[in-house]
Amino acid sequence: MGRPPPITNRVRELRELHGQMSQAALAEAIGVTRQTVIAIEQGRYSPSLESSFRIARVFGVGLEDVFGWEG
Amino acid sequence: MSFREKSAWLMALLLTGAGLYYVHLVRGASQALGETAPPVVVIAFILLLVNGAVVAQTVLALSLRKEAAAPADERERLVQQRAGSWSGLVLATLAVVSLGHFMIRGDGNMLFHLVLASLIVAQIAEHGFQILLFRRSV
Repeated sequence: MGRPPPITNRVRELRELHGQMSQAALAEAIGVTRQTVIAIEQGRYSPSLESSFRIARVFGVGLEDVFGWEG
Repeated sequence: MSFREKSAWLMALLLTGAGLYYVHLVRGASQALGETAPPVVVIAFILLLVNGAVVAQTVLALSLRKEAAAPADERERLVQQRAGSWSGLVLATLAVVSLGHFMIRGDGNMLFHLVLASLIVAQIAEHGFQILLFRRSV
């Protein structure tokens, strides 16, 4: 607990590129709470593979366009 | 703050208040009796605690119907699992301490109170761990 996972993401950036999509709208689209989207954006939580694919599909990009490995 | 975090705060506060009242109740009854109060003294307290928890959760759920109806998402389930696992360790530790106390003192009434207090503390710990995990990295 405490150490953020070594996974980076562009969720906030992609959300803003998609017509300022709200965190609540993204949360609804992928089936999680808004707090979980906030935790993902802040790097406090690494989503499951299923949710990662859902996020990528919402933005119409590949998984590696959303997530990366730190360093 | 998510519904489940609000629920954890509510239960942590409710159980902390109940725990303090429980200590006050048993201490007062024990002083009046001149020995450790028997379990019968706290039956009303247990019923009040259970009903209080049900009423508090119902009021919260009714005030946040949409959020309450939604199932826990993957992060919330992970938080609940970890908090449950850690609070299990707290309960096990306190249960061993309670049994150790009974082995030394042989006071069955005190064993009852210590085990009940252990259950309350473990529940407070579970909700506290949930709050911590909801706010930190999981």
